[in-house]
Amino acid sequence: MSAATVVLAQQVVTFSPKVILDNLDLLWDGVQLTVLVSVISFGIATFLGVFVALARMSERRAVATFAAGYINILRSIPLLVFIVFIYYGVAIYFGLTFATGIQAGIFAFSLQYSAWLGEIFRSGIQAVPKGQREAAMAVGMGPVRTFVTVILPQAVRVAIPPTGNMMVGMVKDSALLYVIGVQELFRNAQLLANRTFRYFEIYLAIVVIYLVLTTTVYYGMKFLEQRLRPVDVLASVERRFAPLERRRRERLRTLRDRIAAEAPPTRIVAPEATP
Amino acid sequence: MGPGEQAETVIDLRGIQKWFDDNHVLRGVDLTVTRGEHVCVFGPSGSGKSTLLRTINLLEEPQRGSVRILGVEYGPGVDGEVGRGRAPAKQLRQHVGMVFQQFNLFPHMTVLDNVAIALRRVRGVDRAEAEERAARQLRRVGLLQKVSAYPSQLSGGQQQRVAIARALVLDPDVMLFDEPTSALDPELVGEVLGAMRDLAETGMTMVVVTHEMGFAREIGDQNVFMDEGVIVEQGGREIYTDSREARTRDFIRAVL
Ligand SMILES: Nc1ncnc2c1ncn2[C@@H]1O[C@H](COP(=O)(O)OP(=O)(O)OP(=O)(O)O)[C@@H](O)[C@H]1O
Ligand SMILES: [Mg+2]
Repeated sequence: MSAATVVLAQQVVTFSPKVILDNLDLLWDGVQLTVLVSVISFGIATFLGVFVALARMSERRAVATFAAGYINILRSIPLLVFIVFIYYGVAIYFGLTFATGIQAGIFAFSLQYSAWLGEIFRSGIQAVPKGQREAAMAVGMGPVRTFVTVILPQAVRVAIPPTGNMMVGMVKDSALLYVIGVQELFRNAQLLANRTFRYFEIYLAIVVIYLVLTTTVYYGMKFLEQRLRPVDVLASVERRFAPLERRRRERLRTLRDRIAAEAPPTRIVAPEATP
Repeated sequence: MGPGEQAETVIDLRGIQKWFDDNHVLRGVDLTVTRGEHVCVFGPSGSGKSTLLRTINLLEEPQRGSVRILGVEYGPGVDGEVGRGRAPAKQLRQHVGMVFQQFNLFPHMTVLDNVAIALRRVRGVDRAEAEERAARQLRRVGLLQKVSAYPSQLSGGQQQRVAIARALVLDPDVMLFDEPTSALDPELVGEVLGAMRDLAETGMTMVVVTHEMGFAREIGDQNVFMDEGVIVEQGGREIYTDSREARTRDFIRAVL
């Protein structure tokens, strides 16, 4: 039996969480960078994704074909390979020097996630029935107004669950940046483990941290979904205690009661001439 | 209207032709609707009724024909060359309200917002006034108590009445209805027809595609039977009792 096995066995036996507490600052730095890279990349990817989706649905064949190619190529490259390719390959070949691995990572993530998100957004947009567009046009909205006011909010609701999954994926994928030396959570954990030999404690700690991060994202999305559910703001018990909606409820109730109290209880009459 | 005074023409369609690829769906349709008139359109499935109605507010663009609303040309012109001085569809839609078979309410907005949104976002009315006008319009269709509900919480009949309020609040010159009751459970048809009947009594100009022959007979000043993309016969109420065309008679007998 080699010495290393003996050491490992001993460490499992003598489980010592102290190493975590002693190095909280290092782990915390890693968490911050993980969150920062994930949030920025996801933000950029979302923004690009909307355009990818619109381009993919474009009536101009060239634009739609280009977008389809963009999506297919980016989705086919393993993310790890893509990160290495961007940081070492592209940078060296074209003489582009990414100031930091962080920037290269954000670049790689934004591009690849924009392809995935683009497809999610496209199916969200296409899930909105065509009657919605027609109803919006019929009341006089132009194409942009229709998209922003009627189509997009409905597409977002459809897209929230798969987008949430992508967000969880992003947090987890950010660990891949260790290969280009970005000091995110996993990289810092590795450094720490190699220094202290407390592999079990340290990797267990980051497993828990990733779990906390992804669970937070998951419940954030659940909350958003819940908030967007169409529930009668005045009649439902569910919303009665939602503090954010108090003013909206007040406004609606006042309006309803005021109009109800108005003089002639007409049924349909020709709308009064606009003053 | 005094003697000799001509009622104002609201809709004037001339030589409307529409193809979906090779499918010649409208084969030269003429239709004139004057202010206050109630036009009912009926005919077999696939005869082009919806397409005709949808050309009136340019949800379908005809390849040929003149679409004049209140004297303004919005269509490509009778011989297919783009009409000179053709006005934009957005302007047309200020004058024409539409009610769909499937209601097409905006599911992510409250009932109040459904009715107020176009006032605010298209007409630029401020929020307080838009909501007030929307609430009044909802009261008229008996749905003021539902201002804060979402469409999914309403019955089909209630949804369709909201859709009517949504169109009416914009103060249109003419209202188009495309089979407004055919997606409804039978017990809900009455409340929607009731609202439409009230609307007709106020003198609103209306074009209604419907299979409710009883209703058509009641409000129809001009009744249009369509088949295979043409108007086969049109006339007053007598069309339902003694039509000239055998095709019309057969159809009426079949649906009654
Ligand atoms: N968007 C479209 N694309 C292609 N073909 C269409 C489209 N809309 C309608 N059509 C075709 O045009 C023809 C007329 O359709 P339309 O909906 O106007 O008939 P309709 O008289 O309203 O029938 P129904 O009573 O079933 O509603 C049909 O053959 C239909 O298949
Ligand atoms: Mg139809």
